[in-house]
Amino acid sequence: MEIKWQGTYIDPENLIEISHGDKRRLLKYLNRFQELIPERIAVLEESLKVNDRKMIRQIVHKMGPQLQFFGVKDTAPFVRRLEFEYETIPYDQLKVLIESFLKKMDAVQQEVAMIIKSNF
Amino acid sequence: MAQQKIRCIVIDDDLFIHDLMEDKFDRHFPDVELLAMASSGAEGLEKIKAHQPDLVFLDVEMSDMTGFEMLAQLEAIRFQTIFITTYSHYAIEAIRFNALDYLVKPIKLNELKQAVRRYKNNIEKFKVLDRVQQALINLKTKKVSDQTLVLQTHEKELRITLKNITYLEAARNYSYIHLSGNKKNLCTKTLSNLEGLLKDKGFFRCHKSFMVNRIHILSLEKNNMIVLSNGTEIPLARRKRDAFKEWFDV
Repeated sequence: MEIKWQGTYIDPENLIEISHGDKRRLLKYLNRFQELIPERIAVLEESLKVNDRKMIRQIVHKMGPQLQFFGVKDTAPFVRRLEFEYETIPYDQLKVLIESFLKKMDAVQQEVAMIIKSNF
Repeated sequence: MAQQKIRCIVIDDDLFIHDLMEDKFDRHFPDVELLAMASSGAEGLEKIKAHQPDLVFLDVEMSDMTGFEMLAQLEAIRFQTIFITTYSHYAIEAIRFNALDYLVKPIKLNELKQAVRRYKNNIEKFKVLDRVQQALINLKTKKVSDQTLVLQTHEKELRITLKNITYLEAARNYSYIHLSGNKKNLCTKTLSNLEGLLKDKGFFRCHKSFMVNRIHILSLEKNNMIVLSNGTEIPLARRKRDAFKEWFDV
């Protein structure tokens, strides 16, 4: 299987290993990412607006393994920080942190869309 | 005769985990039959009742209830459970405390293989079912000292109510658990392992070789010895003195 991968935000190693070079499986994972991540991003945005910190923790907690699974680079410190400091972090810092994460996730989603378009 | 397959269910509200488990079972586990997958605790209860599985892979934190809350709703648990969690989840302590099996997300193939192997090798399956029941009781027990720690020794499984432990003592790679009445048990965990399980349950690592139970401490003497309710004196490392005093509120 030859996959053209512009991995600026995603390290494809784990995903390719898990799908064992099976394009059908790989596409299933990528589609699932495109299906679920926007929902979770929307919940995160909404939770930030109303400062619902429990929901922020819950959604970040859910996204953590997925980001790891997809090899999304440099997100682990963000996830860890929010999981442990979600109650105490000042709102302005929380806002900056989440907005920067959302910006990155926007780029990640574009990268996934590009991978799907150019390979499947 | 063909070996009977392990009939399992996956209960997790994360559809990524569904995909992952389905693919892994399909590709690497010919001896596992995936009967159903559920994406909530409520759906999980339905699937368990409908399929009567041997093994359930159960997410600790779902949007409608926790895995433990789901198990508590069952009249009887006739299957083994492997919990699915993340490293940072607070429930991981409860899982370890009760000697339950678990996998960490995102689930790695070799870890899943080991978990299935543990299930197959576990001849005394009733003990594991009983551990889940014990975990449910512990979670309901508000008073920490009344909770029961489940530990393995070479010969047997130990269940010790925390209030009965006076202190713990390192014994190379094992530890002695000293109990009220001057009894002691050797368990196959290091003192550091036990510290991880007990540090938030009223125990303090006062020395590289000792850990004491708060409810059995009578006094701290000037010679840096901690006196316990049964008269035993345990050394307090000098560098731990301030932390101990703060913890014990001397």
